[in-house]
Amino acid sequence: MTNPGDPLRPALPPSRGGRLSRQERLAYWMLFPVLGLVFCIVSYPFGVALLQSVTATRGGKLVGLLNYQGSLENPLLYAALKQTAIYAAIVLPVEIGLGLLLALLVHRTVRSSGLKLSLYLLAITPMVIPPVAAGVIFRLIYAPNYGVLNHLLIMAGWIKQEINWLGQPYTAMLAVASVDIWQWMPFVYLVLFSGLQTVPRESVEAAQVDGATSWSQFWHIELPYLRPLLLLILFFRLADVLRVFDHIFILTGGGPGTTTQLLSLYLYRIAFKFFDTGEAAALAVMVMVGISLFYSLITRLLPLERD
Amino acid sequence: MRRSGWFWRVIAIPVLVAFGLVYLFPLYWLVATSLKGQSELLSSIVPTLVPQAPTLEPFHTVLIEKGNWKLLRNSVLVCAATVLTTLTLGLLITYPITRLPVSRGVRVGVLNWALSLRFLPPVAVVVPYFGVVRTLQLYDNPLALVLIYTLFNLPFSIWMLKSFLSEVPLELEEAAFVDGATRPVAFFRVLLPLVAPGLLAAGIIIFAFAWSEFLFALILTQTPRAQTFPVGVQTFVTQFNLIWNEMAAAGLIALLVPLILMILARRYVLAGLTFGVIREK
Repeated sequence: MTNPGDPLRPALPPSRGGRLSRQERLAYWMLFPVLGLVFCIVSYPFGVALLQSVTATRGGKLVGLLNYQGSLENPLLYAALKQTAIYAAIVLPVEIGLGLLLALLVHRTVRSSGLKLSLYLLAITPMVIPPVAAGVIFRLIYAPNYGVLNHLLIMAGWIKQEINWLGQPYTAMLAVASVDIWQWMPFVYLVLFSGLQTVPRESVEAAQVDGATSWSQFWHIELPYLRPLLLLILFFRLADVLRVFDHIFILTGGGPGTTTQLLSLYLYRIAFKFFDTGEAAALAVMVMVGISLFYSLITRLLPLERD
Repeated sequence: MRRSGWFWRVIAIPVLVAFGLVYLFPLYWLVATSLKGQSELLSSIVPTLVPQAPTLEPFHTVLIEKGNWKLLRNSVLVCAATVLTTLTLGLLITYPITRLPVSRGVRVGVLNWALSLRFLPPVAVVVPYFGVVRTLQLYDNPLALVLIYTLFNLPFSIWMLKSFLSEVPLELEEAAFVDGATRPVAFFRVLLPLVAPGLLAAGIIIFAFAWSEFLFALILTQTPRAQTFPVGVQTFVTQFNLIWNEMAAAGLIALLVPLILMILARRYVLAGLTFGVIREK
């Protein structure tokens, strides 16, 4: 075998010894330039980042690993990592839990196809809203003075005076997390709902004849079908938590203080507010290497059809 | 179902109504705010739940007076160009791996590699890209955005196009070859019409994703010559004196385009987002 997994060296002749057929040559002539181009567009900046990360931001001298040391010694990095972890610990369980419950509920009770279609449209709506617009929507809800949430709560008699949702650390974190949940819980719901549709009717009916409870029907029959999808959701959403930027930028800008400054906002701040290119590049390299390791660990677990 | 079905049915209606409210009310509030006049916003401390004198004034201010129609135009151009380049590159990659006899290793390698790009956080590459774009003198140039959006939309496009192309039986093209058609003719006359609905759906989704992008547009553009609409929305939020109705109008314009497009392509949205794990329905 001549390294068949490498898309970048497809021109090697196959081990069966013969020449490539005309069709195979055509295939590689089409693939090679495009993949080469995309590969360069992806890896050239990685090279640039590597170079920047060992260069002093001012003066341009090579400084070895000084930028890496500097970035790792910055206590704000650990605060950002902690905020990212807290954010993930809020949004992932809530999205997956609520999405799963909603999928089960709709799957077990809703029969009318009209209602199913309206639920489908309602669920894709938040997912396709640009995160910037979602940030605007929730700014109109949480903001002091105009924010409608305070007025609704006062009208209902649950609070006496306005709460500054975006101005206090805990509520600000909950506010930015709520936008994520609002946007992406429907994604979990839709994926799991489609998964439930694939469970064979016969096994469910057989279990019901045997007197299975709703719970054991879920645990023994439906969950095995959902497990690969849950894995996919978990990894895709985890990757998304690391990219979260837009709606926090709009809603709190990382504040108050640095309490909603997730890793992506921290990197943005180092690079484009402090203009510390060297340190930002060092962080970027570490993030890219970390993500690659993470990806290589999970790629086999993803239930994707590769053929 | 028999014994515990009543439980699900009793909670179903209140739960669905509650979710419906949580999802529709924020959208209602956006629309309601965008239709309020300046005087209505200033008249009382407690905001009115329903616009008293609905007006399109905020939209006029946002688009014409504050010149955001230019950003809207940039967005349309950048997204349309992104769709074209992404679909072209996507077809150049997926046609060989689905229609031509490449080894399984190459096919799986290409797909895995495309998938790995899905996990790349934009903020990690934005730092080096900023440097590269400045070196190439593409700063504040829509072309830089087209290149980057193409790169980030390519992964799921490859997976979507792969599934559309592999659903067309090879025999159809072979029949065309027997009739004397060359490969390009067979591609344009036989294959392309059959995958056109899928290509359209993929194009719509790419357009909507590119439309929503904010981070790169924020960093790589500076003037209305190249800024896209989400960057314009941001200016309404970060200014010192917030004008709620204009902010809402800008947000509403920003979300209307992808929302309409995605509802048109609704059958494919989930397939695109999950790399084809969930089939279109």
